[in-house]
Amino acid sequence: MVDVIDKVLGEDADMIALRNRRELLKQKTQASYEAALTPKNAGNFSFALRAALAARMCALWKAAELEAHYRDLLKSYGETAFDAILDPGFRPGEADAKLDAILERVDTVTLTPKEASRADVEKLYAAGLDDRDTVTLASLTAFVNYQILVVAGLKMLRDH
Amino acid sequence: MSEPVHEFTLKPLDWHPYVRPVDLETATDEQRDALQITPSNTKISDYVLVLAQDPETLKERSPLFNDIMYSKEGLSRAGREMGALAASFVNKCIYCAAVHANRHIQLEKRPEVIEAIYEKGLEADLPDYDQALFNFGVDLTAHPDNVGVYQFYHLRETGLDDLEILDLIHAIAIFGWANRLMHTLGEPHIKE
Repeated sequence: MVDVIDKVLGEDADMIALRNRRELLKQKTQASYEAALTPKNAGNFSFALRAALAARMCALWKAAELEAHYRDLLKSYGETAFDAILDPGFRPGEADAKLDAILERVDTVTLTPKEASRADVEKLYAAGLDDRDTVTLASLTAFVNYQILVVAGLKMLRDH
Repeated sequence: MSEPVHEFTLKPLDWHPYVRPVDLETATDEQRDALQITPSNTKISDYVLVLAQDPETLKERSPLFNDIMYSKEGLSRAGREMGALAASFVNKCIYCAAVHANRHIQLEKRPEVIEAIYEKGLEADLPDYDQALFNFGVDLTAHPDNVGVYQFYHLRETGLDDLEILDLIHAIAIFGWANRLMHTLGEPHIKE
């Protein structure tokens, strides 16, 4: 499989050479991507929903190259049910209380994790998520934010 | 019953989850497999048992975390702890901050640097090398959409080479990950 971070950095030869000096780190970063976005057991979060949520997190941080990657990934599944999620301003409200709770959590944990509280987790349970769903959502959000930070840092290295 | 801690502290802390940890008695084979590769097999922390609710990401994350924080050459161990601490201060992960501040003190024997951060927070005035690492960590964590070129050049001026900067970026980023689990799935209490 293509290394996602090498790809979004434009297959820059210097960056690839530098990242290859930390081979295990690079390999485990890619393996974490696959575990978060395309796990063997997707549970209640389909691949398409995962890709759409990831694209939204990237949009929240204006991580354009990564956002394009996740939009393409979503498109590759041929599913359009989650397209609205891509707009970071979209919230379904009472029309879909479960998705609304998921998006509220994703937005808080992405942009202002310090504001996260016990009440947020209780809201997720109230909206119908179980223990596993709550951890899956946290793990996906945490991984994609890691990836956003790595790409932002590496772009500084590449360009300066 | 102890009270949750809401302010940064260097005291030893316990972590109390909001989410049910996996019960080892009823854990699936996949969960057991993911749990085996954590450093302590006999006493697995509630934090790791919570993460085992999603075993596939846990299984990859543990070796990634260890490589980022402990791999040979490149940035010093303490430099990586400084990146972890900067991220944890911005994200207000009190538990992560306490663990990694104390590790920095153990490694560097310069408690005054860490005390300055605990007194002044993100505005702390530090020796030049520590300041460069800390400020870049704060900047990258707080707004990855607008990382300051000034902070980046400060790293270069302090003499960090590409591999050291690569290591620092990952130490900061893996705490962008860890803080988003530790601080959002539970809360710290003073250790009893």
